[in-house]
Amino acid sequence: MTIYAKLGYTLLGLFIVLNWGFLMGATFRKIGARLAGRYGIPFYQPWLNLLKNISIRTTITHGIMYYIGPVFRLTGGVGLFLFMPMVFTGSPNGLWTNFSFEGDLILILYFQVFGMLGMALGAGQGGHPYSAMGIARGLAQHAAVELPLTLAFLSIAIQFDTFSVYKIVEAQQGGFENWILFTNPFAAATIILAMLGAMGHSPFNLVKAPNEILIGPATEFEGTYLGFMQSAGSILHVMEAVLFMNLVFGGANSWIELIVKTFLIYFWSVFVGMVFPRFKIEQSVTWFFKVPLLLGFLAIIIYSL
Amino acid sequence: MNLISPIYIVAVSLGIAFFMGLLGNKAQRSSYLILLAALLFNTFVSLQWVFGLGSGLVEAMQVYTAGFKPPFSINLLMGLNESVITALINIVGVLGAIYMMSSLKKNGTGSQVVFLILFMSLNVIVLSRDLFNIFVFLEVGSIALAGLIILQKGTNAISAGFKYMLATGIISGILLIGIIFIYRFTGSLNIDSIITANPILKQGAFVSAFLIIIAIVLELKSFPANGWGLDVYEASHPGIGAILSAASATATYFVLYKIVDIAGSQLNYYISIIGVISFVGSNLLALKQENSKRLLGYSSIGQIGLLMIILGFKDILGENTTYVAFGILVSHYLAKAGLFWLSGIVKQKNIKGWAVIRKKPYFLFLMGTFIFALIGFPPFPSFFAKWTLVMDLVNTGNISWVVAILFGSMMEAVYMIRWFGYAIKGENEDIKDFKIDIYKIIPVGIFAVALYVVGYFVAPHTEVGTAINFIPLYFVAAIFILDFLPVIIKNTLAIVGMILYFYNIYPDLDNMRLIFEAIFMVGGILTLIAGYAYKGKRPGFYPVALLMYAGLTAIIEAQTTLQFFFGWEVMTAGSYFLIIRGKRSMPHGLSYMLFSIGGAYALLTGLGMAHVGHASFSMEILNGISYLPYLAYGLLIVGFLSKTAALGLHIWLPGAHGEAESDVSPMVSAILLKAGVFGIVLTLIGMGASNNQYSELAYALGWLGAITALAGNLMAVFQEDAKRLLAYSSIGQLGYIVLGLAMMTHLGWLGGFSYVINHFLYKAVLFLTIGAVVMRVGTHNMYQMGGLIKRMPLAFIAVMIGIIALSGVPPLSGFAGKWLFYNAILEKGWYFQGAIMFFSGGIAFMYLWRLIHTVFLGQLKDNHRNVKEISIWFLIPIYTLLAGIMVYSMKPQWVLQPLGNMIAKWFPEGQLQWVGETAISQYGQWAGSLVAITIMGSFIIVLVLLMLSTRKAHKVKQFDITYSGERPERPETTHVAYNVFEGLYKAMWPATIPLVEAWWNKITEILHNIADVTRRIYSSNGQVYVAHIVLFIIVSYLVIIGG
Amino acid sequence: MEIIALITGFSLILIGLYGILSKRNIIKIIVGFSLFDTGLHVLIVTVGYIKGGTAPILDSVVGTTDVASKIVDPVPQALVLTAIVIGLGVTALMLAYALKMYQAKKSLDISDFKDMKW
Repeated sequence: MTIYAKLGYTLLGLFIVLNWGFLMGATFRKIGARLAGRYGIPFYQPWLNLLKNISIRTTITHGIMYYIGPVFRLTGGVGLFLFMPMVFTGSPNGLWTNFSFEGDLILILYFQVFGMLGMALGAGQGGHPYSAMGIARGLAQHAAVELPLTLAFLSIAIQFDTFSVYKIVEAQQGGFENWILFTNPFAAATIILAMLGAMGHSPFNLVKAPNEILIGPATEFEGTYLGFMQSAGSILHVMEAVLFMNLVFGGANSWIELIVKTFLIYFWSVFVGMVFPRFKIEQSVTWFFKVPLLLGFLAIIIYSL
Repeated sequence: MNLISPIYIVAVSLGIAFFMGLLGNKAQRSSYLILLAALLFNTFVSLQWVFGLGSGLVEAMQVYTAGFKPPFSINLLMGLNESVITALINIVGVLGAIYMMSSLKKNGTGSQVVFLILFMSLNVIVLSRDLFNIFVFLEVGSIALAGLIILQKGTNAISAGFKYMLATGIISGILLIGIIFIYRFTGSLNIDSIITANPILKQGAFVSAFLIIIAIVLELKSFPANGWGLDVYEASHPGIGAILSAASATATYFVLYKIVDIAGSQLNYYISIIGVISFVGSNLLALKQENSKRLLGYSSIGQIGLLMIILGFKDILGENTTYVAFGILVSHYLAKAGLFWLSGIVKQKNIKGWAVIRKKPYFLFLMGTFIFALIGFPPFPSFFAKWTLVMDLVNTGNISWVVAILFGSMMEAVYMIRWFGYAIKGENEDIKDFKIDIYKIIPVGIFAVALYVVGYFVAPHTEVGTAINFIPLYFVAAIFILDFLPVIIKNTLAIVGMILYFYNIYPDLDNMRLIFEAIFMVGGILTLIAGYAYKGKRPGFYPVALLMYAGLTAIIEAQTTLQFFFGWEVMTAGSYFLIIRGKRSMPHGLSYMLFSIGGAYALLTGLGMAHVGHASFSMEILNGISYLPYLAYGLLIVGFLSKTAALGLHIWLPGAHGEAESDVSPMVSAILLKAGVFGIVLTLIGMGASNNQYSELAYALGWLGAITALAGNLMAVFQEDAKRLLAYSSIGQLGYIVLGLAMMTHLGWLGGFSYVINHFLYKAVLFLTIGAVVMRVGTHNMYQMGGLIKRMPLAFIAVMIGIIALSGVPPLSGFAGKWLFYNAILEKGWYFQGAIMFFSGGIAFMYLWRLIHTVFLGQLKDNHRNVKEISIWFLIPIYTLLAGIMVYSMKPQWVLQPLGNMIAKWFPEGQLQWVGETAISQYGQWAGSLVAITIMGSFIIVLVLLMLSTRKAHKVKQFDITYSGERPERPETTHVAYNVFEGLYKAMWPATIPLVEAWWNKITEILHNIADVTRRIYSSNGQVYVAHIVLFIIVSYLVIIGG
Repeated sequence: MEIIALITGFSLILIGLYGILSKRNIIKIIVGFSLFDTGLHVLIVTVGYIKGGTAPILDSVVGTTDVASKIVDPVPQALVLTAIVIGLGVTALMLAYALKMYQAKKSLDISDFKDMKW
């Protein structure tokens, strides 16, 4: 496969992911509205938002970091996509493996932060108090989520003796009984719970605290910036789901499977969010230090005995 | 060759004393000169014997009185020992007389006669071989001293003198009983014939030998029967204190040295016991002491106790006894006399008042010299003596003695360094400056210089001391002398010196040492460049900074354990002086020093144990220690961990690094901490590297590293002070390094070393930048800053790159460490330690964001609207280091591949495979360069997209935001910076309780309480003191009989 | 005879010590010290005593053979003289101190001189 073909497939994949992310976002809000007894937005609302945002006439800037922040954010999303093998085709250099180099789990884990960091820097220069509060909360929650999640990742890495996402997916082929969900239930359970925090929906959405307006890191952004950030957010949502799909639910052999699985994974967090009210940050931090952490410990202990 | 017989010391002194009596009070001036002449004559006599006997040109001389041989006459012996001791005494006599010039002149000829008689009697008790003669001259000396005590005005001196008379009267009574009975049993008063007769064999004679020895021991003011001595030290003229401590104690100690054999070697052990009780007890009780002269008294008694221990161990120390005893004795002699004399110049009773000494900085140097000599730092003789003592004691299995001695030394260091801290940093504005009489400085200066000179000449006499490289120290001394020059010249000299030195030294080093040497030297040069930003002279900075670097390079170059320890202590001293330069650094300097000294003692003991079973002191002996290896390696590790600030030993670091000057913080954080890492590397190699024979130790070390990482990072999150935040961050980062090394695998070490290099790079960048910012804005508190990106964009970029590198986010260099650690953890199976470490990494994001956000982003404060970009002299090193980070990030294989080859020497298993730019481990692969290129490519594409889709952006003003429906107008109400992680704190506060600090505080408190309660035995009542003496004798006797 | 002298000597020493330890008055303490000293002197002389010995002067009566058994040991006698002189010196200086102390505080009670504590 030439580098151009590779680039082409990668861009196509990115396009799919972006749109799928928009659609999932819309669906989420629709479900929320219906549960609250409202009609809700049309499913194409995110595309309208993007169009509106990038065609807004005025652009403001608070300074260079404010300008660069969304770039960091979107690069973070795109990069995560590039480093992730999407669809399993039986070869580490298959069609939909992007530039993943077998998909290094550690790289993915740490690159997640890249976007967060850029966003934090950009939002910080805006000087809006809500931005800073949101980021502070986000970082605290991120750290708390990371602990059980790391344990679960380690457990999986121990299980298959590898950090390669590709190899982990490969090991789960041949029927759902090979999924980590069943072969390593503690790690899977930990991830399924910790994932709620990673996705950032209610009850773990104090970071953005969506009310009538968004109160959080993105408060001060508008126009094209917001468009970039929303796109990045959509990509990141899908990528989080893909990561968990690869790690726990056997990966995907086709885009259809990928879409079905990510939908279910994503909606697990959406449904939980519809039922449970928002946590304060200290509540969410302690929550992750209870059951998910315990499960994470068990996931490790069964492999170190 | 004919030398002047020592008998002339007695004859001339007596003759002149009578002659001066004839002169009467009218001729004070001339009689003072005559006194000086007499003392000089004595000194000359002693010194010619020192040179004569020392060079071997003459034989030791026996002087027989009245033409008979003993036992029918009194005889004097002038051997090498005697000549040195009398020389020491007579030199103090001359200098003491100069120091007390005005007092001696004012009090007339009588006082001068007494002064002369005192020194004559001290000479005699050293020279005499006759017990009764010694008794007589001890009494004469006592009477003379009691006469001199009263020179000081006031009731205290009078009552102290009386107590002194009473106590010494009783003690000499005891001595006399012993003498008369030993005469009865042996028929001789001559020490040599008594020893030959071996009285211990005879029933009853043992008691008399015991009485004699115990009386001399009591004369040495053994703890606790020494209240009378303390009172004299406190009340008398400082010149008398110096004589008492330097001359009188030296002479009496020599008497004990002479006579100890009359009891065979049966009492040696008990002398050591009494010595150790004195040493530990006295130093412990001194903790609560605030009166400077009394404090010196406590310390003197402690030092004599140490000398008694050495004497008691003379059979074990063998031929080293003299060397060790001389080293301790001469250091104490010079330092204590110097300090007493200083106390008379400074004229401050309370040790806190000594802050005034700073008004004349050169006096501070004198005081520092004396104090560091007392507590046994290089290059002073006590350092080499203590080294030899510990080596020999450990070698003979007397580890509990080593522990006791080092504990006592530690206590001494506590109060001495605390005192010095008051002098350097105490409040001194309200204290009136002191006047200096030139004649009082001369003796102090001579003794301070003598300490260096003696140290220099003593060093080669240890078995391995010859090889100590003094060149860096000469350079330090030269810079010290040039301290009057402006910063720009000294800084250039320092940098050039370091470059030349590094250029000369680097071809001789192996790769591992080269890495550390490069961190020390290149790091040192870069941080020194920042020094150009300072104006004026910056007095004292360059000597101490270079002292630290001299120590650091000495550690690297060390071929022997002594050289290593020498460098270690030099480095500690230098860094202490650097740290305490900070404005509010007094308590932090103290705690840094105490942890360092404690660590150094652990190290010393460990090195001693390594030496067991080897003839050499080569660094090779660290490999495969055979004597109590767990304890030995454990001690070494603890010693080094005190420098890397592992949890439990870390409480000094935040304050020490946080309060230090702007360019000192990176020196002590990015550079100095690596010295501890270097030590740990050496220890772990010694523990067998890949053989890992002591895996339990490594396992414990690993956990300690992980928990340190967590605790350090967590504490950093809750700091409001930018530099303390970075300081806590260093604790955490060093935890990673320790964990990596403790894994004892190829990947673990690769990760550890990768962190060593990285931490040096980014911590130097961050500390330099934040330090420079602090210099501009004048505060450490982050919530008082904000929005500085607008004023200092270059500083912002530096911090941004620094924090990305630290956080481990790809593509910057920090990720290399993370990736290696994950692989190493998986390989090693230390999952929980790893999980804790990665969780710490997550926590690190919080403080890093806080650092950059609250300082550079958010709202600019009104008072910072006109601050300038940080100094160019800071930017130069910062951007040089940033270039290093970028190279490492883009081409990690350039660093990791050679590192891997180096580590393969010790850990050949489990290396990384390199295919082009891709590193392949057992568990995965990582193509650092490609990842970096991918990320940068995406970044640029997205950036271009954004630029295409935004029109000319409208620049808005600072407050063009709506918050709570308003446009804010005050930055203070809008900048979110204070206590930003409140939520996390609510969740995690139990983990932030400073338990370790509370634990050390409790220990300190308990020790001080013990001291405070125990010292109440010194009720100041003369009768109580006599009772102490009587009880001391009875208890000692019962113990000896019973034991 | 020897025993009596020994007992006397030691008794004097102990009485002296008792005086030093129990009396508050400085003059009495000095007297105690003198007693202590005197006891020492008695001891010294006793040690040199040889039963039936004569004064240690070499003359025709004593002869030059087996001198040692005929005369008392001369050394302790020489020593005791020195010791007495020294004792005198010490006592004199102590008394001088007592005077100074009295001048300073108008008191001779030793417990009034406890200004330097700990």
